[in-house]
Amino acid sequence: MIRFDKVLKAYGALEVLKDLDFSVEKGEVVSIIGPSGSGKTTVLRVLMTLEDIQGGTIYVDGEPLNRMDVNGQLVEASKAHVRRIRAKLGMVFQSFNLFPHMTALQNCIESPIYTQGLSKAEAVEEATRLLDMVGLADKAGHYPSQLSGGQQQRVAIARTLAMHPEVLLFDEPTSALDPEMVGEVLSVIRDLAKSGRYTILLVTHQMGFAREVSDRVCFFDAGKMVEEGVPGDLFGNPRNERLRQFLSKVLEAS
Amino acid sequence: MDWRWDFTFEVVLPRIWQAAGVTVWATVVSFLLALVGGLVLMLLKTHRSAWISRPATEFIEVIRATPLLVQIFFLFFLLPEVGITLPPLTTGILALAIYNSTLCAEVYRAGFQAVPSGQWEACVALNMSTYRTYKDVIIPQSLPPIVPALGNYLVAIFKETPLLSFVAVAEIMQVSKLIGSEYYRFTEAITVAGIFFLVMSLVAAFLIRLVDQYVKRSILH
Ligand SMILES: Nc1ncnc2c1ncn2[C@@H]1O[C@H](COP(=O)(O)OP(=O)(O)O)[C@@H](O)[C@H]1O
Ligand SMILES: [Mg+2]
Repeated sequence: MIRFDKVLKAYGALEVLKDLDFSVEKGEVVSIIGPSGSGKTTVLRVLMTLEDIQGGTIYVDGEPLNRMDVNGQLVEASKAHVRRIRAKLGMVFQSFNLFPHMTALQNCIESPIYTQGLSKAEAVEEATRLLDMVGLADKAGHYPSQLSGGQQQRVAIARTLAMHPEVLLFDEPTSALDPEMVGEVLSVIRDLAKSGRYTILLVTHQMGFAREVSDRVCFFDAGKMVEEGVPGDLFGNPRNERLRQFLSKVLEAS
Repeated sequence: MDWRWDFTFEVVLPRIWQAAGVTVWATVVSFLLALVGGLVLMLLKTHRSAWISRPATEFIEVIRATPLLVQIFFLFFLLPEVGITLPPLTTGILALAIYNSTLCAEVYRAGFQAVPSGQWEACVALNMSTYRTYKDVIIPQSLPPIVPALGNYLVAIFKETPLLSFVAVAEIMQVSKLIGSEYYRFTEAITVAGIFFLVMSLVAAFLIRLVDQYVKRSILH
């Protein structure tokens, strides 16, 4: 479903992703763990086309994201090509990024109406169903500033689901939350992971949660994926030295 | 001081009142043009292609680095040379609009940049078009800082209109000078002109405050 082929991402001289090879199968739930600054967020951002890449190719469903095939030749992707592929992806941000001047419901119907061409009634019906699913049916008319962090993040998840993406990208979705709100958001993500309807890429510091929901866990260090495996192996029997150090530090802290 | 009320009421007020229409018209039209022109200039200036952004940036620099009066004269004498003959009022409005659109462009740029980058990113992640991104997300959120700044330019344009008297546009300043030289009496005409500008500026400032409050109330919850 997703394949990074020798992807290079650099800010000037700083190489953040170094010839990264990495792939995710359709329907797979993959967690990305690693120390701060190792390039975890960047993996999601280049995939979501929030950043361009300096080398390599990213494939979504077999199609290159930043290039397109014109008569057998790969050329710079057009806007339409990027938008068509991007429609398969949805991203949930660490800081929610809800539109503050729109209610929860308006946040969830904006793009379905104008990007997917749904009628207002259809979009409202769908958004209401999704807000109900994340446990916020009674908050549809509230503005983000009137919601707690956990509620805002759940609205953001509903807003992403309203676009019917096949792949969900979560960037530390609970890092900006007070501890008592982490559970309500994880429980929504858990249901999505268990549903089997989505391919999920989750960047997280919640090792317990990663272990519980993931089919596979990937450890990133300094712009490279240095170890991957099923959660039991990776957490139970880490081979890489850096991963062992990382895990012992994280376990110490919690 | 020698002040004649009969002269004020019979000659000065009626003629200044007529001229006030020209002043207000010039102000409003050039302000509206500057609002649109500023947006266009800002979009050109921030365009990804250097072929578009460079000329726009240079144009803005040139306009800002030269006095408005010089630009008015420039258009007034240059346009006929290249075969475009416009009435002085139209030329004046054009000059005011161009000058102020470069200032408005900066207001828009600052306002749009003040919107957190996460808002732009959410629009990309939701696959929204550039048009919808600006119209529904960026512009509404940047209005609170933009509206008062643009309001100040409305008042500024209003106070710049006397410059049009240099190319004989029959606005307030020009008409009061004419009255003065026709009757050899300047006191009444210049005073009335000054009072008109003062009152209108105060009224405009009051209206801008109302609009500003309305925008803040309806956008920030
Ligand atoms: N806009 C940027 N400009 C320069 N460096 C950046 C930028 N964004 C991220 N980086 C750098 O890229 C590296 C990886 O960042 P990131 O992917 O956010 O790491 P992580 O999410 O694993 O903590 C860090 O060293 C960070 O400082
Ligand atoms: Mg990060």
